Amino acid sequence: MNISTDPWVWIAAILTLAVFSFLYRENPFYRFAEHLFVGIANGYAITFYWHRILVPYLFNPVSHGQKLYLIPIAIVGMLYFTRFIPKISWLVRFPIAIALGYGAGANIPRSIDANIIQQLKATIITRASFADWQQGIWAVIILIGVICTISYFFFSTERKGIIKPVSYVGIVFIMVGFGASFGYTVMARISLFIGRLQFLLGDWLGLIK
Amino acid sequence: MTAPDAVRNGFWDRLQRIDRRWIYAVIWLVVMVPLILPFNIKPTAMPPVSRLFSHIDTMPEEKALVISIDYTPDTQAELHPMTIALLRHAFVTGRRVGMLATSVYGLGLGEEALRQVAAEFNEKAATHEDSVINGEDYVFWGWSTPFVTVMLGMGERITNVFPVDYYGVATESLPITSRIKNYSDIGILMSVAGSSVPLSWVAYAQTQFDVRIGCGATAVSAADYYTYLNSGQFTGMLAGMRGAAEYEQLLADKLATAGSKLTLRRKATEAMSSQTTAHIAIIVFIVFGNIGYFVTRRRKS
Repeated sequence: MNISTDPWVWIAAILTLAVFSFLYRENPFYRFAEHLFVGIANGYAITFYWHRILVPYLFNPVSHGQKLYLIPIAIVGMLYFTRFIPKISWLVRFPIAIALGYGAGANIPRSIDANIIQQLKATIITRASFADWQQGIWAVIILIGVICTISYFFFSTERKGIIKPVSYVGIVFIMVGFGASFGYTVMARISLFIGRLQFLLGDWLGLIK
Repeated sequence: MTAPDAVRNGFWDRLQRIDRRWIYAVIWLVVMVPLILPFNIKPTAMPPVSRLFSHIDTMPEEKALVISIDYTPDTQAELHPMTIALLRHAFVTGRRVGMLATSVYGLGLGEEALRQVAAEFNEKAATHEDSVINGEDYVFWGWSTPFVTVMLGMGERITNVFPVDYYGVATESLPITSRIKNYSDIGILMSVAGSSVPLSWVAYAQTQFDVRIGCGATAVSAADYYTYLNSGQFTGMLAGMRGAAEYEQLLADKLATAGSKLTLRRKATEAMSSQTTAHIAIIVFIVFGNIGYFVTRRRKS
């Protein structure tokens, strides 16, 4: 056993244990750690934006008479703060509208291509899909899964006739998907716990190398 | 004791009402004991991992590996070993590395990974050529906002998006800049992410500039990303800590085959024995919980 002498490791270890204490019950140690985390995260982000973005990219060039076109842009950005002045709070719509317009314009065409067209292409079975027999079987299963799952979410008609068995098969695919997601979620949560224990047992207590 | 009381206090009934803190205690034990007394597990690489490894291993030498740190400290345990393993692989194969972060909270993690891996290689380096040097072999561009502009702007010229690197040095002055100008110089862009950022890289960088995208994802997101793997939009994927362990194993096999004496700590592989025992414990919980549910329901009916 080789306990750490680094005060920062001790602070991190004590805060980790404070957060884990919530597993027993809600308590002041947990709440202290939670509030400290929120405060530090916000403080870090604000100072970072100030020192690494606003000062070098806005204040420094403008104060030297360069990139003066940034001034009206900064003024539009500052309109976000009009939310705090009820009489002129409507001005906040300008920066929001610009951000929404830019975001939607940049995103919509590319999302349609990446998330719909390319995904649809991947479900189309061609002769190339059967170049390898295993790959061919998976391609057929994926196609059946897509059709059946979509039919389950087809609410424009009553679920009877051919739609009924097809949508039931869709439920099976959906359940398999939920099962896979749950399994992965368990793995993820255990991994995070392992990470903390590696820190506590290794970096802090020196029980593991 | 009356008959209904006996029914309510049977083994299965008590199991249904067990205090959740006992379950936490069991999970603590089954995770902690194998960390202290580990048993040997050799991860076998799944196709998404081996495909990614082989792409990085065989891509043209002049092409760079770019790693986007799209995660924050809350998912460090799962994703940081991936970043470390990718950096080691790039440096072992002599690939140039570019790194950026799409979140301010990821900056420290990226810097720490670069510092750690560069030190591992530089400790063993005998000559200047063997060393891994900032600005020549790798560059940490840092963070810029908004990420849509970053993803689109990198397709034109990376120095336009990152005029200075993380350390405040003008990127135009770095020797590596002449070799990594935009996406056309990038062999693969790895998005190591605890969120849906890899899908944005696909939408903005791949759709428009045709750059190859790889994904290092938390296990929670992995199930959603398999469709992108199937469509070929992701060249490969590392799913959670297990994906990192598989990649570490492939790299260790490569080093062993090459007769390298480089011994590197494999944090994800070390965690696999705990992961295994925890999964067994949870499977046992689920089986017992379901048996208990059906037994008590039959008794009630």
